[in-house]
Amino acid sequence: MRAVVVYKWSRNAADALVRADGSIDWRNAKMSPGEDDPAALAAALRLIRGGDDELVGLTIGDGDASWALARGVASTWSVEDLPALADNGSTAAVLAAAVRRIGGVDVVVIGDSRQEPGVAAAVAGRLAWSVVLGAQTVEAVDGRLHVTRRVADVRQTVVVPTPAVIGIAAESDLDRAPGMKELLAARKRPVNRIGLADLGVTAGDVQTLGCRRPETAPARVFAGDPAQSAAQFVSALRAEGVL
Amino acid sequence: MDSWVFITADGWSGALEAPRALGGRVVAVVVGPRELAEGVAAAGPDEVRWVEPKPGVPPEAFSLPLADVVAAAAPAVLVAGADPAARALLGAAAAALEVPLLPGAVGLAVEDGHLRVRRALAGGQTIETCAPGGGVAVIYAGEDAPAATRPEATIEVLGLTCSPLAIGASEPVGQASGLSDAERVVSFGRGVRAREDVAIVQALADACGAELACSMPIADDLGWLDKSRYVGRSGNHIAPALYLAVGIAGAPQHLEGVRGARIVAAINNDPDARIFQSADYGIVGDLYEVVPALVAEIDKLDK
Ligand SMILES: Cc1cc2nc3c(=O)[nH]c(=O)nc-3n(C[C@H](O)[C@H](O)[C@H](O)COP(=O)(O)OP(=O)(O)OC[C@H]3O[C@@H](n4cnc5c(N)ncnc54)[C@H](O)[C@@H]3O)c2cc1C
Repeated sequence: MRAVVVYKWSRNAADALVRADGSIDWRNAKMSPGEDDPAALAAALRLIRGGDDELVGLTIGDGDASWALARGVASTWSVEDLPALADNGSTAAVLAAAVRRIGGVDVVVIGDSRQEPGVAAAVAGRLAWSVVLGAQTVEAVDGRLHVTRRVADVRQTVVVPTPAVIGIAAESDLDRAPGMKELLAARKRPVNRIGLADLGVTAGDVQTLGCRRPETAPARVFAGDPAQSAAQFVSALRAEGVL
Repeated sequence: MDSWVFITADGWSGALEAPRALGGRVVAVVVGPRELAEGVAAAGPDEVRWVEPKPGVPPEAFSLPLADVVAAAAPAVLVAGADPAARALLGAAAAALEVPLLPGAVGLAVEDGHLRVRRALAGGQTIETCAPGGGVAVIYAGEDAPAATRPEATIEVLGLTCSPLAIGASEPVGQASGLSDAERVVSFGRGVRAREDVAIVQALADACGAELACSMPIADDLGWLDKSRYVGRSGNHIAPALYLAVGIAGAPQHLEGVRGARIVAAINNDPDARIFQSADYGIVGDLYEVVPALVAEIDKLDK
């Protein structure tokens, strides 16, 4: 089984500063590990059982590519000049081209991000591979993938032929900081730095016409003397008919 | 400007309604059981095309064959909601048409003859307007739509050969905690400092006639309540009339669990706590003072 784990492929929405007029300042935010990346990596590592099995990393942007290398991945690829794009389809087209370049890949494991929920699906679309999203675990059984996910109140196992893209949705924060030994080992592991030109692709994006603040009513917040706040709060909830 | 909307599970009303604003035909592509297709048809799109998976076949098994159908019809706009299977269909279709795929869409419009997509960014703090140029695929993340009164659509069956994906096993998760159909839920987070203090919040829940719930760390890390009682992405998804969050920061993963709540209220000692961005009502104050004051106030009502 040759697997690719995609990591650090978007910016963190928490790094965005929204100004009063609604415009966004990303304050030079770099690609950062997504909240689903640790779970995607943990799932991908479990696919590798020795023998010819291999797990390769894939990241984008010019940040530090060693995140996966310090967490058990032997080598990685980085598409250095791909910026953060609004268009999930365009990001996915580049990731798919990189997966083709890596070559011989049976499965791509990637975080099924809430923030960028189209990327995992569009990577599969661009590769014309099978896909399961919102997954928690993936296991290789007799050359097929057994993928678990939660659908409403049921835990379901989906059996998927390879090649496939598996989008992992984290259920909790699994990341653990690597130790000094792992950080040192990561430095010796190879990073294949490539650019869009090497892949023969361009990364277009949609045009933005600007941002504005949404027209949502702010919360009615009471502050000050606890007894008085409590009285106002209770009467407001009574007026709403919920108390 | 014609639109195709991919539907694989409940929760489709907003995604189906959004492309109405474009004035073109709205075609619903339903991959799922007959009841789902009938429910969609009753909402009155212009057409319903229905793929019925055989038992044990997940909707994703049709992503690639459906993409071929989409490529032939080449609609201008493709829409799916957040459901994982619907997004899988959308990803394949968008790739087949080589159109941009924009997440977070809250509205579609035509302005001066040009397609516009409005999308929520930075956790909904701002709304961006995008000009995709040609066609576009969007993941709808806006409000649900109220039931429309349009003539029911006829259902056309779409026979497709599927890829060999199969549902191997299904088992129920978690045990019923009584949260799912509670009218009121009082929930607490790490603002509560010690296990003994849970009684303070329990007293508020009792006074309100509410079920008691918590944030994930309270159940997962601290074990102060059973895991069946935490709310959020990986826990309970609930829709009470009142959700009262006590000492909860309001992380997006937590709030995913209460999207269906009618009124969200919060008590937090930090005036900048994220929960106040999503709440309808709030009290800024120390829960150790505010909660007993609330219990006293509610007790007065009963007398
Ligand atoms: C992949 C993933 C999935 C997750 N899924 C879930 C999930 O399903 N559910 C979930 O809940 N979390 C989930 N989390 C965790 C989530 O990100 C937050 O870490 C968690 O919800 C925080 O819990 P909290 O609000 O109780 O604690 P904190 O973040 O510590 O917040 C405590 C709050 O209490 C306030 N406070 C402190 N003292 C007082 C006082 N005396 N009076 C009043 N207020 C006070 C503080 O101002 C603060 O806002 C997930 C995380 C990840 C990465």
